[in-house]
Amino acid sequence: MLIELKKFGVTLTSRDDGREALAAFKPSLNSLGPNEKIEISFDGVNTLSPSWADEFIIGLNKLFPSRLKLKPSDNLSVKASLDLLEKIHQIKF
Amino acid sequence: MNHNKYFSIPYPILSISQAADMLDVNIQTLRRWDKSGKLKAERFSTDGSGPRFYHESVFTDFLMDNHKYCQKMAERWSVAKTPIQLPEAFYCPDRSVFQARLSRFELLLKGNLLFNQIYSLIVAMAGEIGNNSFDHNLGNWPDVIGVFLGYNLTQRTIILADRGQGILTTLKRFRPELNNHADALKVAFTEIVSGRAPESRGNGLKFVKQVVQENNFSLFFQTGDATLFLNNKSAVSPVKTGGHFLPGCSAKLNF
Repeated sequence: MLIELKKFGVTLTSRDDGREALAAFKPSLNSLGPNEKIEISFDGVNTLSPSWADEFIIGLNKLFPSRLKLKPSDNLSVKASLDLLEKIHQIKF
Repeated sequence: MNHNKYFSIPYPILSISQAADMLDVNIQTLRRWDKSGKLKAERFSTDGSGPRFYHESVFTDFLMDNHKYCQKMAERWSVAKTPIQLPEAFYCPDRSVFQARLSRFELLLKGNLLFNQIYSLIVAMAGEIGNNSFDHNLGNWPDVIGVFLGYNLTQRTIILADRGQGILTTLKRFRPELNNHADALKVAFTEIVSGRAPESRGNGLKFVKQVVQENNFSLFFQTGDATLFLNNKSAVSPVKTGGHFLPGCSAKLNF
């Protein structure tokens, strides 16, 4: 399954919005196959903050451990946010 | 009690005394600025007599262009015992207004050749600082709810301020041993809050620190009687300020 974050907005900064995005998207995850990977694309996103990503990406990772694959991005806020979350949660995407 | 009357301008015009109060200058200065054209006033009568007044949009443009006064206004608003009025353009009473203005700021930065490589970092930092104000004061705002947001692309500066509880009060809930603002400020900027802590939030300022230190940015942050200056050469060393006590938080970010 491919999740395009731009479909949630282009300025993804608040924790509340990240939590709401995951809650709204959860029903779409029902169609996920038992071993199907989840790819996340950052294309088209202007700004990503660690608070939004903590709720949505880390939230997804908790629901589907080891099944997340983050597509590479040149966006500096995406890189910086993911760097911090990897340190906080001691994980490597 | 309706606090709104204290911090948003009720009409789209300002009297000269309201304008003087907001800018913290005297009326004579404003009369001089009117004559020199620095800040043109309007008159109620067509023959140029009668009391001076200002359209809020003209006043706002003046503050946008003269960042020194915008910064002074943010400082006065955040430290005053009784909150001063703010022009609507700088005041975000809730998260949705803040988000909308942050998106506009993002558009301006993205469309500017000077910032189109780094804009996302600036917006992400501003988002973390502003959203922190709403997250950490939810249900506990001492008086005025909301955030001051002002920026100037020529000066490469963004200012955020709130009249919230400040970092020490917030952190004391799960770090009761903290007993001064400087220590609380250091914890907020340096210690990563584990996902097993009472709340997973609280890492926004660590992100700001990381981005400031890895780029050619600088940050001046105040809460209570503690201030912190951070750039790519400095460590996180908050100091006790001799200036105004600031109950909430304020941040000036240079990019």
